[in-house]
Amino acid sequence: MLRSAARFGVLAVRQGVLCQRVAPAIGARSFSAAVEETDAEIDAHFEAYFKRADLDPWLLRKGLYDIHRRDMIPNPEICKTILKACRKLDDYALTTRFLEALKFKCRGEPALLAFILKEIKPTMDELGVSTLEEMGYDKPELWLEYPDDRL
Amino acid sequence: MSLLKPKLLCTLLARRTFHGRAQIGKREVVGHGLNGTYSYLDRADCPYPAIRWEEPGSHIDALLQKQKGDWKNLSLEEKKALYRHSFRQTFVEFDSPRGDWRIITGGVMFGLAFALWMSILLKKFVLPPLPESCSEESKQAQLKRMIEIRANPVEGIASKWDYENNRWK
Repeated sequence: MLRSAARFGVLAVRQGVLCQRVAPAIGARSFSAAVEETDAEIDAHFEAYFKRADLDPWLLRKGLYDIHRRDMIPNPEICKTILKACRKLDDYALTTRFLEALKFKCRGEPALLAFILKEIKPTMDELGVSTLEEMGYDKPELWLEYPDDRL
Repeated sequence: MSLLKPKLLCTLLARRTFHGRAQIGKREVVGHGLNGTYSYLDRADCPYPAIRWEEPGSHIDALLQKQKGDWKNLSLEEKKALYRHSFRQTFVEFDSPRGDWRIITGGVMFGLAFALWMSILLKKFVLPPLPESCSEESKQAQLKRMIEIRANPVEGIASKWDYENNRWK
């Protein structure tokens, strides 16, 4: 088996098959040009993103997921824009989900969460968005008692 | 009959099952989700699933219409109903402990006990006794023999034996 593989290898090199395949691949490899984005640029990008005129539910959720998976916590201005985008697309559930995701991202940083919530409170009141505490979603609403706990 | 060519059938099936479209009923597709398939998952690392949790129906249609108006007119129950229409569980609900550590601990303990009893019973009823060379006297004799033939004189046993006084160094 090894012999046949070796023979194939020799043949391939002799006929230039492997050489033809390998050489352009090395030549065409493109290395990343690291583009450093400043925090202000990222903030401006997301704020503009959620203000887009052609924003639809798909794009809105994509933007929210982009923020969620980045190593960042959106500043109050972005949060307000997101809430307004949800209002524009008539998706109330998404505002609550966003607030939950925000709270999840801010775990371990209660002061930061309190600051953001204080800043976006006027917008929430203006739109009629309830806080998680008002909704009762700061603790589990639907849950089952574990049978062993009754013992 | 000419319509049912295999290729066309494959195309139709693929279109039907593409990204799980055939499995979601009438649920509204609202986004990309985790990987582009039409699936619902409550995950903290991907909190915006691709489809709504519930199918639209007569129970929610009026509320969805009301949602297009001012949100201040929505009562708390209506807001919760809207949330549960889109999402199955809240963050704290799917993040809370499930109490399954008990059954996992129990299972591991059961496995350990089973293995222990297997080894005890095998040793007692199945396996032959250990060979003679494993007895204490035999091991002492082997050690004595190794010292006598001066095994490993540089770093091993013989190097640790004082041959002039016949004791360990």
